[in-house]
Amino acid sequence: MTESPITARAFFERVRAGQLTALKCGSCGELAIPPRQLCPACHTQAWQPLDLRGEGTIASFTIIRVAPRAHAGDAPYALAVVKLREGVSILGRLVDIPLDKVGVGLPVRFRPLVIGNQATVGFGPSSAA
Amino acid sequence: MRRVAVIGVGVTKFGLHDRTSAELFAEAAQDALTDAAIPATAIQALYYGNVVGGETEHQLHTGPQAASVLGIPSVPTTRFETACASSHAAFRHAVMEIAAGVSEVVLVGGAERVLNVSTAESTEYFAYASDAVWEQPLGLTFPGVFALIARAHMEKYGTTEAQMAAVAVKNHRHGALNPKAQFQKQITIDQVLRSAYVADPLKLFDCCPFSDGGAALVLASEEVARRHRKPVWVLGSAAASDWMLLGDKRDLSRVPATERAAAAAYRQSGLGPRDVDVVELHDCFTIAEIVATEGLGLFEPGAGGRAAEAGRTSLGGEIPVNPSGGLKAKGHPIGATGAAQIAEIVTQIRGEAGPRQVDGAKTGLTHTLGGNTATVLVSLFGRD
Repeated sequence: MTESPITARAFFERVRAGQLTALKCGSCGELAIPPRQLCPACHTQAWQPLDLRGEGTIASFTIIRVAPRAHAGDAPYALAVVKLREGVSILGRLVDIPLDKVGVGLPVRFRPLVIGNQATVGFGPSSAA
Repeated sequence: MRRVAVIGVGVTKFGLHDRTSAELFAEAAQDALTDAAIPATAIQALYYGNVVGGETEHQLHTGPQAASVLGIPSVPTTRFETACASSHAAFRHAVMEIAAGVSEVVLVGGAERVLNVSTAESTEYFAYASDAVWEQPLGLTFPGVFALIARAHMEKYGTTEAQMAAVAVKNHRHGALNPKAQFQKQITIDQVLRSAYVADPLKLFDCCPFSDGGAALVLASEEVARRHRKPVWVLGSAAASDWMLLGDKRDLSRVPATERAAAAAYRQSGLGPRDVDVVELHDCFTIAEIVATEGLGLFEPGAGGRAAEAGRTSLGGEIPVNPSGGLKAKGHPIGATGAAQIAEIVTQIRGEAGPRQVDGAKTGLTHTLGGNTATVLVSLFGRD
């Protein structure tokens, strides 16, 4: 009954449709990437879905050159932890950004990325860039 | 709570083996029993670390498997899996079993076999310790996790690739003194810096190898340990966890689980970082050693890279780190690593480490990190 309002499956269905979604605690205002049963700040369960704007900056990044088997054909590719404007951070794969232009602080924008038929979090150039 | 001592240690050579992980464990365990001068019948429980047995050996239920191969099939066994920290977690629970008065003698061990599968396969299996829904589908690897940490550390503190290379050079220099090490060959800063990028900014020589190997420890209550020639006392042992997802970690340049586990272990022992004579810590990547030396309080946050470059963590330096060669040169059979680190510290405190002996080492610390920094164990050891 007390299921998180956004399951992992629901999160990635929204990703596929072009929307990043967070949870906002109705009790203390904490933001979290779902799924999360209890608020890690106040330990109540009063989550509400929050649509994120999908804009953020690169907090850290790497260029994967030796990839797991399922991704070997994509290498080299860049992964980044992106700090979103609302304050939460998430790992994503960078797309349409030349590898030599990637840097900490670079503004990026969320876009859905399907890898092997699975919806994943991608980030491309910011519209402002 | 009762005092607990390590009275026997055993470690196989690390590297390529054509034996199962249970066989590797059994070799190390027999050596540990011989070292402890105690019969196998004295063992009341086995606490065992193994991580990817299900993937590389199609073997689950590795606790009783290991006990059967050793020849003590009737003792209760428990297999621990906290990624690369598994046998250190097993050790902590064995300490608690003896401290609580449940058992007098407990065998701790771990083993791993991965060199029977391809690098591509083992890279994939190790990535299973990151999140299967949020991170693995993006093609995250373990070098990738620590590359993100390295980039954040470089950005925040100005840590350089040459400082990271100094960690690799130092650990290979130590490993050349360890006959059990996978790599017993010195390397140069230039070789590290010219090696190929695996996950920028980490290069091949910033990474520990894939390894097969086993390690074992005999733990005993004070009453039993007093009859042993050189008991090494467990002064503290603590575990801490942190968020699984990289995006949830507030500051990628730090490992909060290291800081929390270290604080708890120091509190239990009444010691601080200045009291430690020798350290075995989790250098799965060169940046991991730098961040760990900071998290353990050996150096201020951001000072770890410069300390490594200045030789402060070398044998003969002010606080020798990884005299065994560390994961980088000794090797990293992930299920065995925590127990092997403890075996090295026990050997150092006994004064039996030969050419890699830290002069006058009385107090030692081990630090083992699991996977994506979500698990850390820290233990402290000393002699009478």
